[in-house]
Amino acid sequence: MKELKKNAFAMILGMSCVILVYLSACKKDNIVYETTSDVNITGYLDNHPDEFSEFRKILDLTKTAAFLGAYGEYTLFAPTNSAVDAYLKEKGVSSADQIPAKDLLDLVRYHILQDTIGTTAFTDGKLPRLTMYGQFLITGTANAGGVTKITVNRQANIVKANILTGNGIIHSIDQVLKPAKFTVAQMVDADERLSIFKQLLRETHLYDSLNVLPADNTDPDSTGRWKTLIAEPDEALAAAGFPSYQALKDRYCKTGNPQNPHDSLYLFALYHILPDAKYLADIVSSTSHRTYAPFEVITTKEKNQKVLVNDDEFNGVYEPGVEIVRNQSDNSAANGVLHLAAGHFTIKVRNPVAVYYDVAEQPELKSQPAFNGGVINGITKLDAIRWESGYTINYQGNAGAGHFKGNRLQLPMAAAASTKRAHWIEFVTPMLVRGKYKIWVCYRANSRAPLLQGYFDGAPLSRILNMAEYNLKNVSDAEMEGAGFKWHTDVTSNNAIVSRYLGTVDVKTTDKHLLRFEGVGTAGGDANGTWWDMIHFIPVDQDQIWPRFHTNGTIINKP
Amino acid sequence: MKKILVCSIVLTLVLCTSSCNKWLELKPQDGITGGDFWKTKEQVQAAVTGIYASLLKDPLVNNLFVWGELRADMIAATTRTTIDEQNLMTTNILSSNGYTNWGIVYSTINYCNTVIKFAPQVLKSDPTLSQDELDAYMAEAYGIRGLMYFYLLRVFGEVPLKLDPSSSDKDIERIAKSSKDEVSRQIISDLDFADKHAFITYGSTAKDKGRITKYTVNAMQADVYLWMEDYQKALDACDKLVNSGKFGLITESSQSRWFSILYYLQNSNESIFEIQFDKQRLNPFYNMFGASTRRFEVNPVVMDEIYTVNIENPSLYDFRGNGASVNSSINVVWKYAGANGGQGDLEGRSIDDYTSHWIVYRYADILLMKAEALTWLGKGAEALSLVKTIRARAHALAATEQNPDPEDQEGISDYILSERAREFAFEGKRWFDVLRHAKRNNYSTSAFNRMLDIVVVNAPGNSQQAVRNKYRDFNSHYLPVNADELTRGGGLLEQNPFYK
Repeated sequence: MKELKKNAFAMILGMSCVILVYLSACKKDNIVYETTSDVNITGYLDNHPDEFSEFRKILDLTKTAAFLGAYGEYTLFAPTNSAVDAYLKEKGVSSADQIPAKDLLDLVRYHILQDTIGTTAFTDGKLPRLTMYGQFLITGTANAGGVTKITVNRQANIVKANILTGNGIIHSIDQVLKPAKFTVAQMVDADERLSIFKQLLRETHLYDSLNVLPADNTDPDSTGRWKTLIAEPDEALAAAGFPSYQALKDRYCKTGNPQNPHDSLYLFALYHILPDAKYLADIVSSTSHRTYAPFEVITTKEKNQKVLVNDDEFNGVYEPGVEIVRNQSDNSAANGVLHLAAGHFTIKVRNPVAVYYDVAEQPELKSQPAFNGGVINGITKLDAIRWESGYTINYQGNAGAGHFKGNRLQLPMAAAASTKRAHWIEFVTPMLVRGKYKIWVCYRANSRAPLLQGYFDGAPLSRILNMAEYNLKNVSDAEMEGAGFKWHTDVTSNNAIVSRYLGTVDVKTTDKHLLRFEGVGTAGGDANGTWWDMIHFIPVDQDQIWPRFHTNGTIINKP
Repeated sequence: MKKILVCSIVLTLVLCTSSCNKWLELKPQDGITGGDFWKTKEQVQAAVTGIYASLLKDPLVNNLFVWGELRADMIAATTRTTIDEQNLMTTNILSSNGYTNWGIVYSTINYCNTVIKFAPQVLKSDPTLSQDELDAYMAEAYGIRGLMYFYLLRVFGEVPLKLDPSSSDKDIERIAKSSKDEVSRQIISDLDFADKHAFITYGSTAKDKGRITKYTVNAMQADVYLWMEDYQKALDACDKLVNSGKFGLITESSQSRWFSILYYLQNSNESIFEIQFDKQRLNPFYNMFGASTRRFEVNPVVMDEIYTVNIENPSLYDFRGNGASVNSSINVVWKYAGANGGQGDLEGRSIDDYTSHWIVYRYADILLMKAEALTWLGKGAEALSLVKTIRARAHALAATEQNPDPEDQEGISDYILSERAREFAFEGKRWFDVLRHAKRNNYSTSAFNRMLDIVVVNAPGNSQQAVRNKYRDFNSHYLPVNADELTRGGGLLEQNPFYK
């Protein structure tokens, strides 16, 4: 009996073991095999068929779904279903497969950029990358009925922005984007307001260069494959006294052949064409832009929300600029951009003039109380002067006699690998007219100053600047000039006040340029003070010694 | 066998009885539970003190500064400014921006809600607590709650009105946003209670400037009614303060002394309510304005256009400009970073001396709010004379003087907006001032165009058109609901339409 009980017990034990094993085996553990459940772009479109099923079909038709589902970095502007429907209706077809496959592929490629670009990177102009189709997209904003929306290409509004997926960003849009069909030349052709400019382009044969698509353009400089034209409408030309093309030709065409590269009419036309696709947002981001007229730039600035060309001060005289009309500009062409100017502007014939640049007179400093005779220490930033970061410049308005206007800038500089002193300083020059100049640096000598090598637009100057060097004493002006010295103020007794010739430069474009100094050696050591007073740019054929200046800044002409 | 049985029974009994005592005790032994709290008036006082302590918590004052200044024109970014802050300055605001998180404000609101709900029950358990005293404590909670909702109203527009405390997880509920009107009404009703019951004084200057008094409430009322464009009530609230005779403008012939009294020593006769940082609880301004790695500097327009400099005669200068609000040679926000002011050598505060208070209201604010109310009540001449008082005290320069016609309401209003920029530079009021002026009469005054010019000051040249267009959508003037908050809101919270 006892034996039986034992057996029964063993049996129950065994069975329950079996049951336990079964039970536990039945349940499968959910092991996660993926590192993320985020979908890629194609996956997101699949998950939202009510918004994107139509565009998803187009991706299938063009066989682009696969790469948008694979890893990479993309930005997709995804048209919603209603956008695609409207597009198909406009094309007069009932479904996407009736559109030729090549057109469809171009369309898709126009909606994709190979980078991730969120709306925080949008500007008033083009996106930083080309679309895969090869044209730029421009962004902007539009306010309708009190609601502001982000626009793309002025064709579509963004419905939902910055949808993050595994391989990029989707912005959904309410219209299909259509690439520009016409070239800049063709757009001028079609615009009634530009009849004089149209004839100008035809007669100068520049029409052809504005009619080449980037893909067919063989310009080795890739930015040159795109062109920006700032056209002057008939109205603006008429207001400037040119009611017809003939009037323009009579005024500028001196050789009788508008196709002659040296003819002023040809140069006038070239002066309105810039390399690269430059929307207004790009134009206001830089103060000057190279034109196709050799060595000529236009200067640009934004003033009270207006974009102005050649609004400059030359030699103390203000020359009002010409506005680029915002709401008539930023017209995208297949090979660039077309802008419309509100007035007439042309290359100005200027003769080189001497520029006596007071480096201490920076606008940021001038607006401070201490500018007159005081001291401003610890300056970290100036618009027109840059220097190695981590160091500060001091303004000394109390530098005293011998200094132009009694002020100077002080920057501790060194050549050696010192962590206490800056190793370079860079000046943005005032506007210099095209021509050849001699450069003079006017400073207060410091026997511990390092040797500095100057570079004008990157090209080294012939002489090293040694700010430890004192001025020559009791020597005639002519002898001094021969040795590369002069007095720049009326204090000719203190030989710590020095003006030193550094070399001749050929200024190729009428523009602001960059003058840089780098520490290259130790004459006296490394100085707490390199004391900068003035920089003179004097045309080579002009008097280098005169005029001089009183300490209060007034001019002393040659006696 | 029997012995074993007896032994085990005894053992079990011993174990059971001895363990009962502590093991099954649910209450913590080293703290107080809600049930035990709210018994004495000292506990009410402690809870109210807790509300004020919460005002010192990071990042509240940091956010009040950022919300009140960054979207306007007086601050410039440095290389250390965070991406979120830069995006606020350039109007690239997304719901993922950290400054759209309102949690820290609601945390103070929750402290207020807790006092408002539980303090009344102490009346039963502590006979030494009188009804008046209780009401005064409650008034402080209502006052701070009103102030916090007023910040939320100005920053976000529509926000959820949470009026009950959340003391445990089960109290957490999802609630939808209330309209701007509902939020305003709640603020008014909170302030009404506070106005009725708050004390006039707590017996010491520091307490009077650091706790909610009746006058603090009146200052808030003036501000809220101005925001709601109820000018008569705003004027009445200002007059309560003016007629109390308890406050005045600090007038000194030396700029450095003036700076020292108002901004270094603080809790001056001019001050009405200040968030009281001290050595134990430093303010967040060292990293913001003082350190070499500071995140904010003074925008050049502040000296160039707002204060201006008299080049011909440097001995004439606006007391509020260089040497007080600004150290113009290094572009530092000197109001918080300076240990001394004036035109001589300026010394910065040392890192352990960042104790300057956050001034919420001071008497100059009352006078300028009164001027604004008078302007829109058609009493332009009176308004202009108040502006004159403020300018005379500050030795404002002739270059910043405007002479609008006493009938020209928009002209005077614009003048007051400019004067407020000079008077309250970096006190977290600029953006709210700009918005209040712009939105007046449903955005129909010229102040809206002024706003469009102000908001592009920090925008890069290539996106200024986009920024201006964004501001033409009035919903963009308020921040979005934070993305995480939207997710947690379970569909109840609705995003501001501009950010959808």
